[in-house]
Amino acid sequence: MSALVLDGLAKRYGSFTAVHGASLRIPHGQFVCLLGPSGCGKTTLMRMIAGLEEPSGGRLLIDDRDITAAPAHKRDFGMVFQSLALFPHLTAGENVAYPLRIRGVPAAERRGRAESLLELVRLPGMADRPVSRLSGGQRQRVAIARALALEPKLFLLDEPLSALDAKLREAMQIELKQLQRRLGITTIVVTHDQREAMTMADLVVVMSEGKIRQAAPPMEVYRRPADAFVADFIGMTNLLEGEVTAPGRISVPGGELALEGLPRQGRALLSVRPEEVLLHPATAPGGANRLSGTLSFVRDLGASVEFRIEVAGREIVALTRPQDRPPVEPGGAVTVEIPAGACVVLPPESGVGGGRPS
Amino acid sequence: MKIGAGLGRGLGTGLGRRAVLAGMGGLAAAGAAGFPSIVRAQSKSLKVGVYGGYFKNSFDKHIFPDFTKATGIAVEAVAEPTGEAWLIQLEQAARARQAPADVSMMSQVAMLKGMAAELWQPLDLAKMPNAAKVKPALINKYADGRVSGIGAVSWYITLVTNTKAYPQAPESWAALWDPANKDKLGLLALVANSFLLDVTAATFFGGPKHLDTEQGQLDCFRKLAEMKGNVKLWYRDEAQFEAALKSGEIPMGQYYHDVTGLAAADGHPVRSTFPKEGGILDSGSWAVSKASKAGDLAHVFIDYMSQPQVQALLSRKVGTAPTIDRSATDLTDKEFAAVSSDLAPIIPRYDLYLSKADWLNQKWTEMIVG
Amino acid sequence: MIRRAPRSLGEHAPILFPALMLIVFFVIPFGLMIAVSVARRIPGGFYEPDFVFANYERFLTAFFGGVLSFSLELAALVAVVAVGIGFPFTYRLARLPRAAQVRWLVFLLSILSLSEVIIGFAWSTLLSRTAGITNLLVAVGLMAEPQSLSPSFGALLAGMVYQAFPYTVLVLYPALARLDPALVEASRTLGASPAKAFFTVVVPSQRNTIVATLIMAFVFALGSYLLPQLLGRPQHWTLSVLITDQAIYQSNMPFAAAMAVFLVLVSLALVGLALLAGRKEEA
Repeated sequence: MSALVLDGLAKRYGSFTAVHGASLRIPHGQFVCLLGPSGCGKTTLMRMIAGLEEPSGGRLLIDDRDITAAPAHKRDFGMVFQSLALFPHLTAGENVAYPLRIRGVPAAERRGRAESLLELVRLPGMADRPVSRLSGGQRQRVAIARALALEPKLFLLDEPLSALDAKLREAMQIELKQLQRRLGITTIVVTHDQREAMTMADLVVVMSEGKIRQAAPPMEVYRRPADAFVADFIGMTNLLEGEVTAPGRISVPGGELALEGLPRQGRALLSVRPEEVLLHPATAPGGANRLSGTLSFVRDLGASVEFRIEVAGREIVALTRPQDRPPVEPGGAVTVEIPAGACVVLPPESGVGGGRPS
Repeated sequence: MKIGAGLGRGLGTGLGRRAVLAGMGGLAAAGAAGFPSIVRAQSKSLKVGVYGGYFKNSFDKHIFPDFTKATGIAVEAVAEPTGEAWLIQLEQAARARQAPADVSMMSQVAMLKGMAAELWQPLDLAKMPNAAKVKPALINKYADGRVSGIGAVSWYITLVTNTKAYPQAPESWAALWDPANKDKLGLLALVANSFLLDVTAATFFGGPKHLDTEQGQLDCFRKLAEMKGNVKLWYRDEAQFEAALKSGEIPMGQYYHDVTGLAAADGHPVRSTFPKEGGILDSGSWAVSKASKAGDLAHVFIDYMSQPQVQALLSRKVGTAPTIDRSATDLTDKEFAAVSSDLAPIIPRYDLYLSKADWLNQKWTEMIVG
Repeated sequence: MIRRAPRSLGEHAPILFPALMLIVFFVIPFGLMIAVSVARRIPGGFYEPDFVFANYERFLTAFFGGVLSFSLELAALVAVVAVGIGFPFTYRLARLPRAAQVRWLVFLLSILSLSEVIIGFAWSTLLSRTAGITNLLVAVGLMAEPQSLSPSFGALLAGMVYQAFPYTVLVLYPALARLDPALVEASRTLGASPAKAFFTVVVPSQRNTIVATLIMAFVFALGSYLLPQLLGRPQHWTLSVLITDQAIYQSNMPFAAAMAVFLVLVSLALVGLALLAGRKEEA
């Protein structure tokens, strides 16, 4: 049984399609991140789930109940908005108690619940603060407490941490994840930050151009991207395009590789993470899957060293631990090894992003 | 909003209708066109103050060119501002021995105020044979008998009705009190421009003498209060009432005789009736500021204006009632009836509107607002 | 930006112009009005400079008290109705597509170009027996025969609200256009129906704007002197009408000035009270 089912959910604005039929099953208690670049339709998809946007097609089910046509205020979902949308005329406590007030919970009980919710988000004793006198992180917590006040079936967050500075954002990511785990509430977060998604999600849903490209656990999305877009969007990758020459052999710029999982013939696209690429001095003995190149640039990142190597006019990025650094200076010849097991074979037709290392 | 209706006809009042009337006098204007007045009159020039708007335009067109042609005196027409501002200006200028105008057309209350300050030069009727024939009621005099002003223009306010709502014309001002006319009347909103105290005195209390005492005035107020329920609109804006009268929205009231006649001639279902008690005769007078050094020329001007043919011309082109006996003019019965009546008029007690202005105003406002 | 208090004349310059305008166009005229209000009226003439309170004494009667309280009540009612209609209207307006908003705003601005006289005439015709809307009701069989609806209190209220409406919309518009749409959406996801969201979030979050607009409409309506004459019966004449009567028809400037000063002071006091009440509630 699935907690939440998206069945071909679509949204069109005139001739523009924001979300092509999106289908997804989200089990109870999952932490899901909708990840993609801006304009990919992830926010529209979340707004349809929240009932703020009417789908042009498809169905939305929760616990097998069709709620496609249910208005937002009857869905019992808590949502945190990108602007947080705290009510400026109310105090922190009143903001948290607002949904209780709407339900007609007596004032005294409301107050008690608001205070314990504020404690939950680690803002004890802040109930009487006007919203205007809270810091960015405190507002964030009030918005979260307010969305959780009704013990919602689904907890939605639209780019909730984008307004915070980097350090606070990292801390909040972990805190949010811990909170979600403690409450066991099904949660969906919209984000364009793949690190954020990797940190928090049980399930990452990568979207682009209104389509779901892949929905999988973070490490699977990383290790086995479904297409070139996902491979490129999640982390840094090397994309090599080549022609299958014989069963298990593919010709790429600069040489030939022996791999499994190649199509019988035609063109194929390979994705290789930089940390999987091995470097050898040009003088090292030859071997399989080795390509010759020239080291063009070296960057010390502290925990790792990044190399950019030009191979047959194309750049390949490699990442090594400092202690594995080969004795080669920029301008020198170097041999690149691409281990057979490190390559993910992607369908050749999928579009290649413009190289988006992050 | 037309301001100052009560203090002097023509302070921008009833402009629309009257402009039509002026337009009908194209022939006379054509005769005067191109007359080289400036060349001949450089030596002799007179500043004449006329109510700005309709009256000044009409006079510029129909009267002044002929006057200059006949007398060689150039006229510099001055548009008088609304309200009593002109009187104040004249008074202040006179203190500095200046005269923004030599002769001015003044409302009756303003005449009285000017007289109180001895602002007006005494006029010599012996020098003005035509002006001497102006109706005695329209000649203003100081308490000692000296002449302070001569009637310039006059007009009637009468009982007007919508002919569809009233196939039969009413005969008396008493119709305003008829319970059958509940919520049907449109009356002027101010004590000093509706002259309804005078109408009440003439209709129910035997005439203007009843207004001599405060008791008499209160009698009239009490009587007036009886017909309050009949009034739908106390108007300050003439155009508002005129439109309502034509449409029948407000089918009865008091209004200007000449303008109503024009509306009827245009085919609107309205009529103006002189009640048996008489129509209300309001007027403006020529007066000469004591600071003016052109007193002699002013006498020539006033006398010229009082000539029978000029009065007839005014009736035909401007729509005013003649200030002299009609028999002296060549007005036909129809022309005369369009602007006046042989019935004795109700002449407002301007003295009261001056001496008891605040008290009357207060009582009046309380009466209609309360 | 200069954070310390400005010291030289040059640093004061930015506020000199507005201060000068305030003095020239408000302080001086109001001072003159106060001076005239204690002048001595010369019956049948003008007035002389003096220091008498006769004009204020004349005003302190049940009659003028009644007129004053009616004027204040009418202005308050006009303000409440205009804002009551204008606020939801502007809220909807601010959520329309840009092009539609511009069309509405141009239309509303064009109403501002109408003079009070034209508005008064239009409404008296619209509410008349001979040419008014009741004829439509008769035509569709809702009424037996056409009725005159003007002059009456309702006609006056309609005319004055119509006149104040564009101003209220224009004052409310900037604040409502800036209102974060997520506020309402948040309230919806938290269980509020659209109507409840409007009354528990939109209205209270705009309280300061609403109070400012009410005050503006109130002051605006208080100054109206033509519509009460055109659309109201004498008992609906406001103090502004009587001031006009005194100033223009009676040439009684001192009394007119005294009434005007009184009206200004009473409205200032009411506005001050409203602001004070607002601040207290906020604290």
